[in-house]
Amino acid sequence: MGRYRYVSEFAIMRTLAQRYKKMQHIDLYDVIVIGGGHAGAEAALAAARLGCHTLLLTHSVETLGQMSCNPSIGGIGKGHLVKEVDALGGAMAAVTDEAGIQFRILNSRKGPAVRATRAQADRVLYRKAMRTRLENHPNLRIFQQAVDDLILEGDQVTGVITQIGVRFKARAVVLTAGTFLAGRVHVGLENYQAGRAGDPPALTLAQRLRELNLGVGRLKTGTPPRIDGRSIDFSVMTEQPGDAPVPVFSFLGSRAQHPQQLPCWITHTNLGTHDLIRAGLDRSPLFTGVIEGIGPRYCPSIEDKITRFADKDSHQIFLEPEGLTVHEYYPNGISTSLPYDVQYALVRSIKGMENAHITRPGYAIEYDYFDPRGLKSSLETKAINGLFFAGQINGTTGYEEAAAQGLLAGLNAALQVKEREAWCPKRNEAYLGVLVDDLITRGVSEPYRMFTSRAEYRLSLREDNADLRLTEIGRKLGAVDDVRWAAFEKKREAIAREQERLKATWVNPRMVGAAEAQRVLGQTMEREYPLIDLLRRPDVTYDALMTLPGAGPGVTDVQVAEQVEIQAKYQGYITRQQEEIDRSAAQENLKLPQDLDYSKISGLSIEAQQKLAKQQPETLGQAARISGITPATISVLMVYAKRGFSGQRKTA
Amino acid sequence: MVASNHDTHDTIAAIATAHGRGGIGVVRVSGTRLDGFAQGLCGKTPRPRVATLCDFSDDDGGRIDQGLALYFPAPHSYTGEDVLELQGHGGPVVLQRLLKRCLTLGARVAEPGEFSKRAYLNGKMDLAQAEGVADLIDAATEQAARCANRSIHGEFSLAIHALARQLVELRALTEATLDFPEEEIDIGTRDDQLRRLAVIRTQLDTLLAASDQGSLLRDGALVVLAGQPNAGKSSLLNRLAGEEIAIVTEIPGTTRDAIRQSINLYGVPVHVIDTAGLRESADPVERIGIARTWDAIEKSDLAVLVIDGVKGESAEDRAILARLPKGLPCLLVYNKADLANKPMARAGDSESPRVTLSAKTGEGIEALRKALAEAIGWRGEAEGVFMARARHLDALRNARSRLAQAQTETRRQELFAEELRQAHEALMSITGEVTPDDLLGEIFSRFCIGK
Repeated sequence: MGRYRYVSEFAIMRTLAQRYKKMQHIDLYDVIVIGGGHAGAEAALAAARLGCHTLLLTHSVETLGQMSCNPSIGGIGKGHLVKEVDALGGAMAAVTDEAGIQFRILNSRKGPAVRATRAQADRVLYRKAMRTRLENHPNLRIFQQAVDDLILEGDQVTGVITQIGVRFKARAVVLTAGTFLAGRVHVGLENYQAGRAGDPPALTLAQRLRELNLGVGRLKTGTPPRIDGRSIDFSVMTEQPGDAPVPVFSFLGSRAQHPQQLPCWITHTNLGTHDLIRAGLDRSPLFTGVIEGIGPRYCPSIEDKITRFADKDSHQIFLEPEGLTVHEYYPNGISTSLPYDVQYALVRSIKGMENAHITRPGYAIEYDYFDPRGLKSSLETKAINGLFFAGQINGTTGYEEAAAQGLLAGLNAALQVKEREAWCPKRNEAYLGVLVDDLITRGVSEPYRMFTSRAEYRLSLREDNADLRLTEIGRKLGAVDDVRWAAFEKKREAIAREQERLKATWVNPRMVGAAEAQRVLGQTMEREYPLIDLLRRPDVTYDALMTLPGAGPGVTDVQVAEQVEIQAKYQGYITRQQEEIDRSAAQENLKLPQDLDYSKISGLSIEAQQKLAKQQPETLGQAARISGITPATISVLMVYAKRGFSGQRKTA
Repeated sequence: MVASNHDTHDTIAAIATAHGRGGIGVVRVSGTRLDGFAQGLCGKTPRPRVATLCDFSDDDGGRIDQGLALYFPAPHSYTGEDVLELQGHGGPVVLQRLLKRCLTLGARVAEPGEFSKRAYLNGKMDLAQAEGVADLIDAATEQAARCANRSIHGEFSLAIHALARQLVELRALTEATLDFPEEEIDIGTRDDQLRRLAVIRTQLDTLLAASDQGSLLRDGALVVLAGQPNAGKSSLLNRLAGEEIAIVTEIPGTTRDAIRQSINLYGVPVHVIDTAGLRESADPVERIGIARTWDAIEKSDLAVLVIDGVKGESAEDRAILARLPKGLPCLLVYNKADLANKPMARAGDSESPRVTLSAKTGEGIEALRKALAEAIGWRGEAEGVFMARARHLDALRNARSRLAQAQTETRRQELFAEELRQAHEALMSITGEVTPDDLLGEIFSRFCIGK
C-alpha cells in the first residue's frame, strides 16, 4: 500500500511550509491587504488606484466580495457611506448597480439629509462584479492563502507569512480579517470554530495578534435561517416592490446596468411563534451564558426581541431574495442562534411559511475585535507602524461601514508608502469622518453601525452631495480617475451656472399671471422676485418652478436640478452649521503633541491622565470626546497648549 | 515663570472670612502635601477632619494666636487637594499675621475664586456649581446668597438635567422616525410630538423666568434718574437711600455731577445714578455732564424721569421723553406733591407708569419702590429663583428660540430634529458636562428595532 494514498491535505501543507521557510522571498509589495471582503476589496482597490504595487491575500478567491449576511447594500446612514466611497472612486456603489435586483430610496418623503438609497443585491452577481474589478485592476495582484503571521522589525510591520510559510514583504499592511479572528459559530448549545458558516477561522493570526500590544475584545453577531423560496406562500404576504423610476447608486451609474428587478415580501411573527421561542430559551446560547460577546442592540436576535419587548404580539419580517439564479430567501428580522429544531418550528409558525424548507440554519458568531481606540484617525495602529486595520476587526458591523474603512485604510497605507500626509476626514466633512472619530475616541461597546443621528452636521452630510464634498479631495489624493473627474467637473459647473441663472432671472406678477402663480407657488405674487428666492420656499419644487412663465427652461440633468433645489432650500441651515463648525474649529483642530507626558500636566485628575496617556488623542477635539474627559480637563489642556506644552514633553 | 501663570499645584492661602472685625476669622490653605506645612504652623499635623486646638506660631516661634486647625487631606476636601483651615480670632491684624506666616511657609496669596477653580478642575463640582460659589461670595444681599446656595447644591443643574431629559425623549422619538422608517414602531403622532414640545417650552420658560430673577438678584439693575435741573432728583435719591439702612456703597460717578448709589430694593441690588439735569446749556462743563447723562441712560435698565409736579409736565420733559432710547422702560415721577395744591398736571400721551410723591416728606416713596421693582422685572419672590449668570441666560434663551423655531418646522422633520439638537446642546453647555450621545440608547430601549 503506497503511503502517499493516506497523506492528508494537512501533511502536504506542512511539507510545503517547511520548504518555503528556506526560501528567501521573492516579491516586495508596497501594500498588502489581508482579506477579500468589503473592507479588503476597497482597501486593495484604493491602494492600487494610488499607484501602489498591491497584493490582496484571501483564504478563498471564490468568496471575494461575499455578502455573508443579508443580501442588501445601503440604507439610512449606510447609503450615505456607500455614496462617499463612490465619490472617492470606490467600487461598492458601482458593483451594486450591476448586481442590484431591487432599489429603493428610503425616507423619500422626508428631507434630503435623511434620504438614503438601499438595494437588494444578487449575491452571485455581486461577487462576480467585485471579483472582475479586483482581477482586472492595474497594480493589483491576488493570492489565495490564509495569513498566519505578520513580520515585524521593531514596531514596524514589514510583511506577512502565509499558512504554508510564504513570506511577502510590504511597506504597509492593511488587515481586514472580518469575523474570522478566532471566530466561533453557535447553533443552540452546539458551537465550533469558524470564520463564518462554512469557512475556517483565522486562529494562528488571532493568536499572534493577541500577543501584540493591542486591546482585544469579543463581539457577537448573527444571521437568520435561509428559506427555499419554492416552499414559501407569497400570496398571503405583502409585496414590497422597488421604487419607480428605479434609483441608481453610483454617481456614474445608470439604470441600464441593473439586472432584472424583484420584489421583497413582508410577513409577521405571531404569539404562537413567540411561545415556541420562549420554550426554547433554555437551550439558547445567548440566554444560558454560552455566548459572551456583545451583540448589537439595533439588530437583536428574535429571541432577544420577544424577551425585551414582551408586550409586542408580532414582529415584522422582510423576505429578501438572495438572487436571480437561486431559490434562497433571507428572512430579515428572525436572526437566531436557537437550536435547529426550534428554528424549524418557529419558521413554520409564521404566516406563509407553514411549509418552509430551511436551506441553512441561522447562527450566531463570536469573534475577536481590536479596541479601535488603539487606532490613529488614519486607521493605522498606534502600536505598530505601517499596520492598518479596517472593517469588523475594528468593532463595526455592516458591509458599508467595512467598505468605507477599507477605502480609507487603503488610501492611507498608500499615502504612507508614498511618504505623503495621511487623509483624515473630519466629522463635518463625511460620515466616514464621523465613523472613524466615533471609533477612535469612544471605542465600541457593541458592533458599531452608522445612523444619521450620529452625525451632528447631518444637514450638510447628505447622499446627494457626497461627490461635491469628497470627489475633489479624492482627485488630489489620486483616488479619482479621469472619467469620474470629468463627469464631476461637468456637474459642478452646471450647478454653478444654473444657480447664477436663478439669481439673475427675475419674474414679476404681470408676466406670471395670478392663475400660474397660484398653481406653482400656491399663492399670488405680490412683487417681483428672482427665481432663487421662489425656490427657497418649502413647497416650491425646481421642476414646478421651471413651468412658471419666464422661468424655464431649466437643466435636464436630474442630479444638477436636485442639487440646485436642495442648496437653495437648506441654505440658511447649512450656513448656520458652517458657523458652528467655524466656531469650534480652533479647539477641534488644536493638535496635541504625541510625545506629551500627561503625568507632567498638573491639574489633571489621575483618571484623566491615565485615559489621555492610553489613548493619545491627536487633537483637543478628539480628547473632548473621550468618555470621562470633562470640560475641566479640556480647559487645563488649553491652558497648557497656550504655553506650548513646554516642560510637559516626554523628552523634557 | 511669569507671575500670572500660576502653577495649579502650588500652595495657595487666603483669608476666607469677610474683611473687618468678627468673632472668628478663617485662613484657608490648599495645596499638595500640607502635612509638613501644618507641622510648621501648628507644631503638629492635625488628625484629618478633626478640629484640633493648637498654637499658631510665628516665623521666630512666637505665638500668633491660639485656634482650631482643620486638616482635610486630598482628595476628600473642598478643592480636592490637601486643605488646611485655620480658625483664629477675628480681626484684621491677627489674620494678616497668620496669612503672612503661611506665605513664609511657601504659600502664595490665592487669586479671587481660585479655591473654587481648583475644586472645578479637580472634578469636585461642575461649572454651574463653581459659578454658584463665586456668586455666593459676591452675593450683595441675603436673598441673592440664598439663591446662590441653590445653585451650588446643583438645583440649577438638576433643573437643566430634568429639562434635557425630556428633550432627549422627544429627540429619540424624532430620530427614530428618521433613522428607522421601516420599523413598525409606535413613535407617536405629530400631535404627540407637539404636545411634548409644548411641555418642554413651558418648563423652559419657567426656568428662564427663575433664572432671569436670579440674574436680577446677582447683577441688580441700573436705574438712571433724569429730568430737568431742580426737579428734585438728588433729594429723591437721598430719600430712597435714606429709607434704606442697607446702603451698600457710595461711589462717586464718572462725572462731577453723577452720583451712583446702591440701594436694596426688596433684596435686589439697584444701582441708582443721579445725573446732571438735562437742559440746553452753553457751559462746556455742564454740557459734558449732560452728554454723560445720556450715555448713562443708554446703558441703563430703567429711566426714571423726575418731573416738577408743581410746574407740571413741560415741553422740555416731553423732549427728554422723546429722546429716550426705544424699548427702554421709563417711569414718570411727579415730585413735590407737598407743594402742589391742586391735582397735578398729567399731560402727555406716554404709557409709562406714573408715581406721585414728595421726596421732601417721603409721601409716596413706598409706591415708588413698588413701581421701581415692577419696572425692572422683579416679581418679589426669591424662592425657587436660580442664580443664573449671563452665560446661562444666553444659553437658555438660545434653547428657547431654537425650540420656538422647531415649532414651525414640524413638517420638515430633519429640520425639526436639527432645532431640537441645537436646543439640547445649548442646555448642555450650561452644566459644562459632556454627555455621551444617549439618543440611540434611548431609541433602542424604547423601540424594538431590528430589521
